[in-house]
Amino acid sequence: MKNIFKTVLILFAMTALFVSCESNLDLVPEDDRETSASAFEDPGSYKAFLAKIYAGISLSGQEGPAGNPDLEGLDEGFSNYLRLYWKMQELTTDEAVIGWNDGTIKDLHGQNWTSGNEFIRTFYTRVMYQVSLSNEFLRQTTPSLLDDRGVSGDLRAEIQNYRAEARFMRALSYWHAMDLFANPPFVTEEDPIGAFLPTQIQRPELYNYIVSELLDIEGSIVAARQNEYGRADQAAVWTLLAKLYLNAEVYTGTARNQEALNNCNKVIAAGFNIPQVPYKYLFLADNDTNGSQTETIFSIPFDGLNTQSFGGMTFLVHAPVGGSMSPADYGINGGWFGVRTTATFVEQFPGEENSADSRAQFYTDGQSKEIEDIAPFTEGFAVEKFRNVDVDGNPGSDPNDHPDSDFPMFRLADVYLMYAEASLRGGGGSNATAVGYINELRNRAYGDNSGNISEGDLTLDFILSERSRELHWEAHRRTDLIRFGKFSDQGVWPWKGNVPQGTTTEAFRDIMPIPASDIGVNPNLVQNPGY
Amino acid sequence: MKELFKKCLIVLVFIPLGLIAQSNVNGSITEEASGMGISGINVIVEGTSNGAISDFDGNYTLSNVNDNDVIVYSYIGYKTQEITFSGQETINVVMQEDSNLLSEVLLIGYGSTTKQDATGAVEKLKSEDFNVGAIVSPDQLIAGKIAGVRVTSGGGAPGEGSEIRIRGGSSLSANNSPLIVVDGIPLDQRGVQGVRNQLNSINPSEIEEFVILKDASATAIYGSRASNGVILITTKRGKKSSPFKVEYGFQFSADQIEDKVDVLSANQFRNLVLNDPDEDGSFLGEEYTDWQDQIYRTANGGIHDLSATQGFEHFSYRVNLNSTSKQGVLKNDLYQRNALNLNLRGDLFDNHLKLALTSKGSLDNNTYANRGAIGAAIAFDPTKPVYDEGSPFDGFYEYTNADGSVITLAPKNPLAQLEQDDNRAKSKRNITNLNIDYKFHFLPELSFISNAGFDYSELDGKQFISSNSATQENGQFKNFYTGMNRNTNLDLILKYKSAFESINTDYEITGGHSYQEYYIQSDQTVTEQGTLVTKPTTIDRNALESYFGRASFDFLDKYLISGSFRRDGSSRFNEDNRWGNFPAVSVGWKMSNEDFLKDSNTFSNVKLRAGYGVTGNQEIGQNYGYLGIYTPGENSASVQLGDIFVNTLRPEEFDENLKWEETTQYNVGVDLGFFNNYLSVSFDGYYRETEDLLARIPTAAGSNLSDLITTNVGQTTSRGLELGINASLFAERDFNWNLSANATLQEVEITSLNLSDDSEFFIPQGGISGGVGNNIQLWKPGYDPSTFFVFRQVYDQEGNPIEGAYVDVNGDNQITEADRQAYKKATPDFYYGFSSNMSYKNLEFGLTFRGSAGNYVYNNVNSSTGFYANMLNPPGDFYQNGSVNVLDSNFENAQYFSDYYIQRADFLKLDNISLAYTIPFEKLVFQVRVTGTNLITITDYDGLDPEISNGIDNNFYPRPKGFVLGLNFTY
Repeated sequence: MKNIFKTVLILFAMTALFVSCESNLDLVPEDDRETSASAFEDPGSYKAFLAKIYAGISLSGQEGPAGNPDLEGLDEGFSNYLRLYWKMQELTTDEAVIGWNDGTIKDLHGQNWTSGNEFIRTFYTRVMYQVSLSNEFLRQTTPSLLDDRGVSGDLRAEIQNYRAEARFMRALSYWHAMDLFANPPFVTEEDPIGAFLPTQIQRPELYNYIVSELLDIEGSIVAARQNEYGRADQAAVWTLLAKLYLNAEVYTGTARNQEALNNCNKVIAAGFNIPQVPYKYLFLADNDTNGSQTETIFSIPFDGLNTQSFGGMTFLVHAPVGGSMSPADYGINGGWFGVRTTATFVEQFPGEENSADSRAQFYTDGQSKEIEDIAPFTEGFAVEKFRNVDVDGNPGSDPNDHPDSDFPMFRLADVYLMYAEASLRGGGGSNATAVGYINELRNRAYGDNSGNISEGDLTLDFILSERSRELHWEAHRRTDLIRFGKFSDQGVWPWKGNVPQGTTTEAFRDIMPIPASDIGVNPNLVQNPGY
Repeated sequence: MKELFKKCLIVLVFIPLGLIAQSNVNGSITEEASGMGISGINVIVEGTSNGAISDFDGNYTLSNVNDNDVIVYSYIGYKTQEITFSGQETINVVMQEDSNLLSEVLLIGYGSTTKQDATGAVEKLKSEDFNVGAIVSPDQLIAGKIAGVRVTSGGGAPGEGSEIRIRGGSSLSANNSPLIVVDGIPLDQRGVQGVRNQLNSINPSEIEEFVILKDASATAIYGSRASNGVILITTKRGKKSSPFKVEYGFQFSADQIEDKVDVLSANQFRNLVLNDPDEDGSFLGEEYTDWQDQIYRTANGGIHDLSATQGFEHFSYRVNLNSTSKQGVLKNDLYQRNALNLNLRGDLFDNHLKLALTSKGSLDNNTYANRGAIGAAIAFDPTKPVYDEGSPFDGFYEYTNADGSVITLAPKNPLAQLEQDDNRAKSKRNITNLNIDYKFHFLPELSFISNAGFDYSELDGKQFISSNSATQENGQFKNFYTGMNRNTNLDLILKYKSAFESINTDYEITGGHSYQEYYIQSDQTVTEQGTLVTKPTTIDRNALESYFGRASFDFLDKYLISGSFRRDGSSRFNEDNRWGNFPAVSVGWKMSNEDFLKDSNTFSNVKLRAGYGVTGNQEIGQNYGYLGIYTPGENSASVQLGDIFVNTLRPEEFDENLKWEETTQYNVGVDLGFFNNYLSVSFDGYYRETEDLLARIPTAAGSNLSDLITTNVGQTTSRGLELGINASLFAERDFNWNLSANATLQEVEITSLNLSDDSEFFIPQGGISGGVGNNIQLWKPGYDPSTFFVFRQVYDQEGNPIEGAYVDVNGDNQITEADRQAYKKATPDFYYGFSSNMSYKNLEFGLTFRGSAGNYVYNNVNSSTGFYANMLNPPGDFYQNGSVNVLDSNFENAQYFSDYYIQRADFLKLDNISLAYTIPFEKLVFQVRVTGTNLITITDYDGLDPEISNGIDNNFYPRPKGFVLGLNFTY
């Protein structure tokens, strides 16, 4: 009897020891975070995910203006897509210099960047992040998954539009990757997430992929000017195709000017117009409503209260303000004393800072035209392009930090100039039509026809200059200079090559380096020549 | 009838006594050193359960003793005595203190052993050896006291947290702090939200001892949390059969900063501006302001401790009430604590069931001063006034534009930053543990132990910044932050302790099961862009389930072997990787028990130890790293699609294959005792390898949903030598002098960091002030994880740095980021501590020195403020002050990455020195103690303090010099 009792007691103790006490180690988030299984129970989650892909270009994370970043390798504000794309496309050219002390930022204008440059690295990771986001969206919206979740009807049809837009956004980012890095890693929705190393794609193959993607969605994406504001439509697809074709010789060695021109024609026929409002309206806080929006094909919307980041328009409005400029004139609480321009750009305008061309928006009070030292803001003219005030000078919804102004990524003026260029390069258009388009722009710029050109003025050199006058600081310049062969071993402007008077650099700089850190983690990658 | 009954009773009672020839014995037990009676001594007849315990005066009575019985007198801390009974009526015993304490109980994970039987690298520090001073954070008690343990306070704020490193850190991105177990409950290694230091909830004066488990053979029983060592903290308890005792202690402290950052004086600054041809001095003011004098003060503090303790035969208690209030030297900084500690112990059923309840309740009130004032006091123009009559900023002077608006990029008035920012947080916390230890009645060798505990805390914080502050553009700033941390733990343990008499072998076998869950919740409502926004609640829950066991054998009292095993499951990994196994084995040879040393007069103890163990680490901060989760975006980060703003949904990066980080550690050691252990030396050497390192590294672009991911990659190795010496130079009745010293030599190296064999691959680390996103350190294979990453400065013939001239390491004729080199590091090669305690009659004198060598600091104050462009051409109509170093460097522009700013930071500090006098009255003992803390720092380092844990000296909260007066009454 005693022995039985003993045994039972010991067994009881053993049981207590070794039987798991509701040891639930399968824990899932209990706050507003969701697992991939639960996230899509809400029908609104598909649009929210699509919104994230658009936000990938304008914002830096899940908390505005900062606090829960998408990327952590660099300061959150610095890691913003538009801010970095702008730096790649503008600081490397005659249109902009920056005076800050942030790591290797000055190497961008000096064209002496290395594969360790953190701004180049972060733009590269930002572009690939955007690709990964789009891929994940496509993976989460396959027909079989939608069947499993019982998604049907209107929502299902709407998701098909979303998918086309996600593919457009991916194509846009792959274009940026191809334009800058030539041979980036290549991943699609067919790849997994996590433990694999992406393979490298060569520039011509990537070109073919992007073009084929765009042609594939051309018919399924929402028709031109029919989508919601801020979302891509057919016209955005055509504009991007036009850009790819116009630069095809750089990317593949084969010119495709006729296709470029055809796509320009499709955009022009879609009903956009150059509105009868001043040029500067395009860059104000109310540029989605002040009349200038009829020209906009694809824009990146910002909002002082709802779409906040330290990149994007916040950077583009604050960074060029300093010296004796009054911040209130730009609808902000203070300048960041950063970005100015070089004398080369000032000289694009006849009469320079006193030009009759209203696109010459220089602030010169206390500023010198020449730059002896790149650090002080007062060296080099300031450029008053992007502002957080409306047409009446009233500040935007947040009068301090974050502008309401939207960034015009694609607009009709760009397409007009691409038409003219494609035509001149033998794309089959009419030079007379091209002159007509350009004079539309110059009429707006001069306020009358005093700046109009004739067919005899229409040369490639004129186009390059006119693109700079019309589209400066809109993140086109580097691509334009490379297409015209004037970015590295040709073309000189102040502080190019890191010397005050400027010097040419080696041709390999037309392509950016693959960041050393990615070469370090991904043995599949081969560095671009020269780095 | 009645009479008859009485007689019968007498017969019944006395007959048995007469039949058995047994006698009683009594006597008094005194302590050799003091000559006083001692209570609580166990007196027992060997081999029986017949025993007694000495009373308050040291008297005892033992009945039923037979001739030739052996009476054993024993108590922890005294040498055990055995006396054979031969009919004596009285046996008086004098107990000698056991000076080497080899037989003292030593806690190890889920059990205990003795110092002489320990086979791992385990050290114990008792309260009498702690650092003295008005200490509010327990970690400061052991700073500099133990080889292999480095405690670096985060700064001079009262109750500031410390970085504790046992044998350096083994991980890169996972937590490198040791596991701290307080009275049986493991604390959350991540700490508790909203407090300065999670250990502050434990009243330092109530701590009885720290036990530090250093090597893997000792820590492996804690499995997945043991890679960085384990600290066991035991609080004071009541002793059984001890008289009622009340103790009251009061400490008054006064702290003052010792040194200020050397910035230009108002005159120097004026000259600098006026001598510059480009400046007209129009932004200069008329005043002579030392901004650092404006923000610092002499800080006072008071600590009251009231304890009561009493022990009965089967029950004892100790209660302690603590009230602490300590100001920081930065104005408005205040730490307050009110705490109640309770320790109850009881036993039932003839000592078979022991119950121990410890409960620590505390109420922290923190007023956090805005530390932005520290940097602003360096940068603010010394020619400007503090106050400006009629200023809209509560009368403080601030930089404004012509239209009266604030210059946003200018420094803000340092004093205003302190006065206009009111940030207070209350934190309530309770740590309670109930330990039940049941020795089976029918099998006393077997015991069942249950350890159930929780650690619960609640935070309630409120911050207001005046709408008149220059830092606020949108009116008053409000910030309400609340949170809850809950940590629950249950251990169930079976222990079997016995001996194989035939082969003279003692053994102990322990098996257990444990479940621990951590739950953290945080809420915040805060002003954003002028509106009060409620942030989404964040909840994080994670759990660990574990099985563990240990077997220890002691053969012939000479050869020790101990093996342990733990199997841990963590909720942070997917089912396939969830469980990890952590074995350990260690051996010891008590050589001094061998015949050839047994009678040695020189060697009183010789023991060799060797151990091996595998431990893990899963403390990566994130809970769902293996799951692909989705995070919604806030309203402020929504995008316009059409006419509405759509909140986003972001898929997060994940690594499905995330798993344990594993550390393998080898340890060999020797413990030596000389001359009856008056001199003891302990020496350990270790080698440690961490594999599947949890590191936050770049993802291969395109392969995941962020640029960085926490994953298992790479390896580190570390090795070290540790020496501890304790010498009792004098141990006389009136004069005692004890010296102890420890020294540690260690190195840590990253041996691999990724999958490719690219030897140039590195990951930048160590963000600095100056510019945005700038880093000064790197992780790179072949280097210590705190290695700096710099340009090599070129100097002219006079030894002055040539601005912008760096060594062109790759020879491409230009200086680019590719010319930056790995150079020096922040962690020391060597660190040491030295303590002396002396007592003569009632007078006591003690001091502690602590030092380190081979550590370097990046002087970020000099690099971010000491150049002319920063002073003369800041972004706006103002000037900025900076480090006087500018007069030496003559740098015009920022040179953040120059090795000119990497400075040798070896130091030797006199941490504390104290003098105490004790006056014994009849019923009362009174002690008065005077202590000086942080008195002397010897270093070549230029900056404020060479002791900076991450090696980047930037706006450091100065560690003050302190004076403490302590009074103690014991009744």
